Amino acid sequence: MTAVTASRIVGARIAPTKDGPLGPLSAGWGAAVEVEVPLEPTPLEVQPSAYVRTAWADRKHGATPSVRAAAAVAGGVLHVRLRWKALNPRPAITDNNVFADACAVLFPLDGKGAELATMGDAAHPVQAWHWRAGTAIPFVIQATGLGTVTRQAPPHGVSVEATWNADEWSVVFSRPLEEQGVPIRGGATVPIGIAVWQGALEERAGLKSHTPGWLTLEVPA
Amino acid sequence: MGTATSRPARQLAMVFDLNKCLGCQSCSIACKTLWTDGPGMESMWWNIVNTMPGGGTPRDVFSHGGGYRDGQPVPGKFPAQREYGEAWDFDQQAVFSGSERIPLHPRERDGSTPSWGPNWDEDLGGGVYPDSFFFYLQQICANCSKPACLEACPREGLYRREEDGIILIDEERCNGYRFCAEACPYKRIYFNPQRAVAQKCIACYPRLEAGVAPACVRQCPGRVRHIDYMDNKEGHPHKLVNEWKVALPLRPDFGTEPNVFYVPPLAPSAFNEGGEFDDTKRRIPAEYLREMFGPGVDAALETIEREREKTTRGESSELMDILISRDWNDLMGPFTQNPAELIRPPVTR
Ligand code: SF4
Ligand code: SF4
Repeated sequence: MTAVTASRIVGARIAPTKDGPLGPLSAGWGAAVEVEVPLEPTPLEVQPSAYVRTAWADRKHGATPSVRAAAAVAGGVLHVRLRWKALNPRPAITDNNVFADACAVLFPLDGKGAELATMGDAAHPVQAWHWRAGTAIPFVIQATGLGTVTRQAPPHGVSVEATWNADEWSVVFSRPLEEQGVPIRGGATVPIGIAVWQGALEERAGLKSHTPGWLTLEVPA
Repeated sequence: MGTATSRPARQLAMVFDLNKCLGCQSCSIACKTLWTDGPGMESMWWNIVNTMPGGGTPRDVFSHGGGYRDGQPVPGKFPAQREYGEAWDFDQQAVFSGSERIPLHPRERDGSTPSWGPNWDEDLGGGVYPDSFFFYLQQICANCSKPACLEACPREGLYRREEDGIILIDEERCNGYRFCAEACPYKRIYFNPQRAVAQKCIACYPRLEAGVAPACVRQCPGRVRHIDYMDNKEGHPHKLVNEWKVALPLRPDFGTEPNVFYVPPLAPSAFNEGGEFDDTKRRIPAEYLREMFGPGVDAALETIEREREKTTRGESSELMDILISRDWNDLMGPFTQNPAELIRPPVTR
């Protein structure tokens, strides 16, 4: 399907195949509409560390202009796929000064609303599914504001699969619809945010490219 | 988190006497065997002793930025592992069982020959013969009062203990961002690539809690290391730092207010043209020592010389008594418990 710039990711319903879940390169994605989502650098002035604000004042971060996103439900499992170009891939942390590529999707924990720019607040937490190249298990994290991120111990129901192919990462997050956590159920419309870190530019923590506002994820009924 | 933190209720401090160190690395080995023998820690030396003047660990140790200038954080770098020295492989198998006679040869992970490592330029030092000089510089995390590491972390991955000011990394919170390692001007934070967390000296806090001195302190045959709380007016750190003013911070210009202090090296006098010692000429250039230990170094050296002459004349000197510490328990402040006499729970790994 042709990619279009949009703020809505409309999930497709796909019949489960005997090949198992939808992988990053599965043909099943052909039935989903992939949209091109523009990203922006996170603002430096809100980074919760004077060191980071000073050290990055003259350095570029947030170098990923856009990401292609698609969603599908197959066999009661939601899959969200992100694809982006990384010219110098960093597939693993191999040294003190090597940072891995990474991406994440973010939701208001209640599936309704929260402040995205601040990563939520005490009354409105956010949850993120975070993949870092070189790791097979995603981090599921919760936050009630910048710098408050805590990790949720498995089992959290979220899995991830990633492939480096043709100069780009394809990363698929999967979670059963009925799982605890963000209420992503059949027929729901849920706010979603996206972030990408380019390891080659030493992007990490709050230094990333992100969607400055929520998009909507429409889960097929 | 990103802001100056309040001072702890008590602050632990150490003084290392550079005039007594043998460069034996017993401290480094004591630490290594106790704390850094786990996976991903192979190349870590939370305690390391380097010949100075020299490159240090990592190479050009004091040139990677970090710390504070005029109260503002200074951007820093975290050098690659081979700049610290990798955990080298040795071709022992070939040396022992090969038919040819080949030298034991260290290799880095990629098979190449190492070009740097801990105490790489051992005993080279500085100066021109016959006025050559060097001294050994011991380094651990200095549990700074303005810990650039802790303040650089955007997610409170490090914290300071209220009861002794020890800075610790919370490995549950650490996300492996490594801003701390960039920000530490002494480069005393290591990175565990297998677990993607930062790791550093923990001041042997579980030993301290049992009344036992840190391993590097207790294992030192040179009796180099003094430890106590800074607020103990009878303790060696207070006496040496605040009263006698002979123990000085390392690179005070880095602005982190470290709590490890050094008694600067005296070294023998320089030679005159006739090849005799000239007692009026120091061998280690004053500018170098001022750069390393700040402007107080000249007065500190004068005090040490003056007190030493007193004892030469047969007079008593409290300062010399402290520095010599004839009873080694005196070095350890309240931490004199012999670990061998502790009832220990069985080790579970
Ligand atoms: S020596 Fe480095 S790691 Fe230790 S407290 Fe100071 S800044 Fe932090
Ligand atoms: S500090 Fe003590 S143990 Fe360490 S090298 Fe010097 S003499 Fe040896």
